[in-house]
Amino acid sequence: MAKTMIWETKMDVALARAKAENKPILLDFFNPG
Amino acid sequence: MDAVTYPDERVMEFIQKNMIPLRVAFDAQPLSTDFNIKWTPTLITLDSNGKEHHRTVGFLPPEELIPSLLLGIAKSHYNGERFNEALSVLDKIIVEYPKSDSAPEAVYLRGVCKYKSTHKPQPLKEAYEQLQANYSSSEWTKRAYPYRLL
Repeated sequence: MAKTMIWETKMDVALARAKAENKPILLDFFNPG
Repeated sequence: MDAVTYPDERVMEFIQKNMIPLRVAFDAQPLSTDFNIKWTPTLITLDSNGKEHHRTVGFLPPEELIPSLLLGIAKSHYNGERFNEALSVLDKIIVEYPKSDSAPEAVYLRGVCKYKSTHKPQPLKEAYEQLQANYSSSEWTKRAYPYRLL
């Protein structure tokens, strides 16, 4: 089990993974402060 | 979200297993404009073509985030007319997270999915009856109110 969340940071990479792994994307717009 | 929800092991496991997590700053262009971002956190469920299916704005605790993400996954199936897949996810929300804020919408959408897959109105009436019995003050009970007459 992962101990920290591993986020993608590029949309094109996330889309490619989503297609390859047949999963939806959770897109989180956050305030880095 | 970083202090409470994302470090939760149930949340982390759910997201890593079921979704591709993508995080960008609220002002990152062109995504901020493309998705009309006005506040944070804004969480959006996208399909593998980048099409939006579900959105929430504001903090969600772990016990609300997981059913909310499940609702987004269910809507992605529903919008793609994969009703059996949508029903499977909606049932999971209703059974495993019945007290969550996502549950009433899941009951409503389950009725709609069943109607669309069978073309019979009875599931819509059953959805209203379940909403009235379990979530009488929910906006989704109000939205289902006409179905009592079916």
